[in-house]
Amino acid sequence: MSTKTDTALAILEKQLNQPLVAALEVCARCGICTEACHYYQAEPVEAHMPSLRAEQLRQVYRSEHDLLGKIFPAWTNAQPLTEEKLAALSEMAFNRCSLCARCTINCPMGVDTPLLMSTLRAMGTATGNAPEVLEMLADAAIEKGRDPSIYLDFYLDSIKDMEKELQQLTGNPQASIPVQKKGARKLYVALAGAHTILPAAAIFDAVKEDWTLSIYEAANYGVFLNDVPRAKAICKRIVDEAKELGVQEIIVSECGHAYHTLRWVAPNWFGEEFNFKVTSIVEVIADYIKRNLLTLDPSANPEAITYHDSCNLGRKGGVLEEPRQILRAATTNFRELTPSRAEAYCCGGGSGLVANPDVVDLRMLAGKPKVDQVARSGANIVVAACENCRLQLGDLSQHYGAGFGVTSIADLVVKAMRLPGAKNTVEAQMTAVSEPAVK
Amino acid sequence: MTLLLFSQVLAACAAVFSITAFALRLRKFTQLPVPKDRSPLKGDPQVGINYALTLGMLPWAKESTRRHAVAYLRGVGFHLVVFLVLVLFLSSPWLGLLPAALRTFLAVLCGFGALLAFWGFLARFVEHGLKAISTPDDYFAVLLVSLFLACAAAMLANLALLPLFYLVSALTFIYMPLGKIRHCIYFVFSRIFFGRFFGRRAVLPHSQQQKVNA
Repeated sequence: MSTKTDTALAILEKQLNQPLVAALEVCARCGICTEACHYYQAEPVEAHMPSLRAEQLRQVYRSEHDLLGKIFPAWTNAQPLTEEKLAALSEMAFNRCSLCARCTINCPMGVDTPLLMSTLRAMGTATGNAPEVLEMLADAAIEKGRDPSIYLDFYLDSIKDMEKELQQLTGNPQASIPVQKKGARKLYVALAGAHTILPAAAIFDAVKEDWTLSIYEAANYGVFLNDVPRAKAICKRIVDEAKELGVQEIIVSECGHAYHTLRWVAPNWFGEEFNFKVTSIVEVIADYIKRNLLTLDPSANPEAITYHDSCNLGRKGGVLEEPRQILRAATTNFRELTPSRAEAYCCGGGSGLVANPDVVDLRMLAGKPKVDQVARSGANIVVAACENCRLQLGDLSQHYGAGFGVTSIADLVVKAMRLPGAKNTVEAQMTAVSEPAVK
Repeated sequence: MTLLLFSQVLAACAAVFSITAFALRLRKFTQLPVPKDRSPLKGDPQVGINYALTLGMLPWAKESTRRHAVAYLRGVGFHLVVFLVLVLFLSSPWLGLLPAALRTFLAVLCGFGALLAFWGFLARFVEHGLKAISTPDDYFAVLLVSLFLACAAAMLANLALLPLFYLVSALTFIYMPLGKIRHCIYFVFSRIFFGRFFGRRAVLPHSQQQKVNA
């Protein structure tokens, strides 16, 4: 035993609760989940079987907790955790599984394989086996949260510039992007870059929403590390801001993991039921449409358009019908991918993979089933309500020469709003987002 | 002591061992924490749980079971026969009172279950994927269950084979809580956690999602 393996095993022990033990014990090794994995679909080798991946943590668990595993390790294939095995398990959990939960949906037992892989990520992070880039991004976000004054002036200046663009886009000289507005009803948390702020601001302006923009980014790289203290620290900046401003609702930009984290996970980290709602901008736009607050001209989007369900927003987040309601209202040629919704294929870019330059080849491989799906649909534009998915889809389109463009829901909605300045601004934004990130 | 009495006592002791070991395992498991979910509901977790334990297990409910319908139905079939044989074990002293036709029918059913189980055993040798994830425990467990079901079939066809059925039952009961067969006690928990997760989010059943967004 080394310090590293001791640390990793201590993490495993600490995390052993009923859902985790059930996931470790219940697998009958029937292999029915095999083809559910997009990695296996792209490359049908045993290493990509979800059950085989999960089995590798079970081997360690059995050597610690199973009577037969302790007496006759070969009988149950129990294996003690060594540093080499820990490194291999970490590599697998970070690079060869996007925690999409498609295998869980398809397992007759309902085995929560993402929970097992997340446990391995926590073990890997605690022992220095996590991808460096994820650690750096998480730490940078925490550092920014410690003292926002370092960048606040610069940020406010850039928002002022963006406001001018917004006024030009909407044709409304009064249109504004309020920041840190106390008493606003809604706090919008965007991602880095104007492309997640401007379209949302235009929509809020059109419906006369009482909103304010967060000074923080929604992205949370601590989640990918499954490092709860770091992930919670990143989340806390936004939660504290919402409490301080007294908002009734946090609206998360089109970002799968940020939505999933703030909506479904954060209340458990903080041990409280928030006194504000957490919604996705997708849910908010769908609600505006339902209440006839937005006037859309679907003929503005006549292209063959399809929707990619982000795993964090859809299967794991429950936002499945809202994007479709929007797309039916904002486009004229919407078609579904098959399968979709809860059974949708992961694009292969989630759970931090898109941020890791060391796994580009693996990421391109894992995205192949999605490219094939898009090709079968005949769509030439793929809409995704998640930034990581959009980056991955853009890269996939370029890598496979698939020729489809990628855009966000808010961009399409703004286009369908037929705003006076749309030609020069939002459409330009759309093109920028649609361009592949990896050249 | 006759062979019948000896095998009966042995099987009864093994059954007591099995029940005790399962009870202890269950006690240990239920003492583990269940993380409290404080996130506001979108759907109804109970609806998700109900679905996970009923319609969600139908062969056409999932892409994987649609794709592997034969393997899935084989698994479901042999598990159902295992439960039947457990009931037969409990009622074994009175099996002679059953009409011959019913005993024959049950024998055929158990024999069919044994074939399904044995098919599963062979599949682990033949299918590459299954072979890769199988341990000696898996081979032994499914072979033992095949034997258990086959002996039940033989015993129903000829009650003179009751001692053999009891001896194999004893071996099965002793092995059940130790090896892979113990997954049976986690099944319901796993499906409940599954249903709660996806039900809470109104992801499953899909009708819940449509209702929420109507």
